Amino acid sequence: MREFLKSTRCKILLAFLAFLIGIMIYAVTRGGYSISGASFINTITKPFRAASNRISMKMENTVDKLSNADKYYEENERLKKQIGELNAQLTEYDAIKAEVEELRKFVTIKEKNEDYQLSQPCGVLGYVTNDPFKSFTIDRGSEDGIMVNCPVVTAEGLVGITVEVSKHVSTVRTILSPDLSVAAVASSSNADQGIIEGNILSSENGQTKLIHVPKKNKLKRGDLMITTGTSGLFPKDYPIGTILDIGLDSNGLSVCADIQPCVDVTRLTSVIVITDFSGKFHDDEEEEKDDKSDKADKDEGKAHED
Amino acid sequence: MRIKTTRQQHILRIKTSIRWLLYYLLIFLSFIIMTSGTLYKPILLVPLAIGIAINNNIYGSAVTGAFCGFLIDICCGKLFGYNAVILAFFCIAANLVFELYLKNRFINYLMITALVSYIQCWLDYKFYYQIWDYENVGRIFVRVSLRVWAYTVISSFFVYLLIKLVNKLLMPKEHLTIEEAINTNIQTENKR
Repeated sequence: MREFLKSTRCKILLAFLAFLIGIMIYAVTRGGYSISGASFINTITKPFRAASNRISMKMENTVDKLSNADKYYEENERLKKQIGELNAQLTEYDAIKAEVEELRKFVTIKEKNEDYQLSQPCGVLGYVTNDPFKSFTIDRGSEDGIMVNCPVVTAEGLVGITVEVSKHVSTVRTILSPDLSVAAVASSSNADQGIIEGNILSSENGQTKLIHVPKKNKLKRGDLMITTGTSGLFPKDYPIGTILDIGLDSNGLSVCADIQPCVDVTRLTSVIVITDFSGKFHDDEEEEKDDKSDKADKDEGKAHED
Repeated sequence: MRIKTTRQQHILRIKTSIRWLLYYLLIFLSFIIMTSGTLYKPILLVPLAIGIAINNNIYGSAVTGAFCGFLIDICCGKLFGYNAVILAFFCIAANLVFELYLKNRFINYLMITALVSYIQCWLDYKFYYQIWDYENVGRIFVRVSLRVWAYTVISSFFVYLLIKLVNKLLMPKEHLTIEEAINTNIQTENKR
């Protein structure tokens, strides 16, 4: 050992170590930047290191996959389940959001018209297959207080009327149908009355028709037509649609107009049924009237006999 | 004809049950398709009922026809029983025609389906639109009834394939029990 310490080999090695320490100290003083030698080596070896790294990573991954297959499988399953749950939550959230928005609109109906008795919001179950007038079924029926001939609306406007009611499902006839006539008046003038009734041509474009309007009128394009409420079937002043075009009826005696309904009845998801309102026509009332008139007739008959 | 054993009889019963189960599953699926969306759709239940009728006994055909008819009434918003009557009648007629006069081939099935669905569409137009004398009522026939009829005829090709598949897998070949075979032989000998 002493011999080695005294030998030239040891002195050279110590000198080399000192040089390395010197380089190290120099590197420290560079403030993070590599010294030119290191940079050169890095540049030269870069592609090889990259290739080698890629290969080793792949190998490591393969080995890792093989050795931890069960763990990854479990993790994968867990994540899939988690994604499924999150997606379900997201769908539910979207549905709730849409429902809340719909409900908000329906609340405005009640706020505006305090006399209305509204049903719970009704979901549209589906449109009647191949019906050109877009009748549809809703998921509420007589158990929810819905009766035949109840007006069906959305916050935007009138949709139609219930025509068939079972316990849990009702069928709605829309304002596109020629079988439904609604007395309407222009909201601007509140004077020009007519009948809104669907027809085959208009229903193809999702429109309806205003007919039997007197020739002398102040109707103009864009006027909003609202219900008159005279029939007792529909509440007063509920929006139906706006005037698109005005022309003469085929008989030339009155004026007619194309109406764009306020509600796109071809794409409904939920509606509300007005089960009662002030001025509603009740069958019981008519029966009572009939009974009274029968009684009066009988009394009159008796008087004549006397 | 082969003579069937008790085991074969048992298998036959199971196969028949599964076959009818599949028929009614197809009917249910067709009903679901028909009730979804707002576009004009084929009346899938017509080719399906006819397809079932021409391959099975007359009672099964009648019941299936009526059932399909009821479903059509529900999804098309027609008077409950209206299409049931029409379809039950045509299913019975189709069953008889195929038993007596026509071979069980696609072209014959297509012709019968086209005829039945045309009559069904025409009656629908007649009773639900033309009778009420709406303005431009002819447009309904051209734009709705004929279109639906064309869709129905086109869809009958796929319906036929499905029924053919079910029948191929589950339709039993004609067999006789030993008792039936003996009876048949006795009857033939007696006739001689």
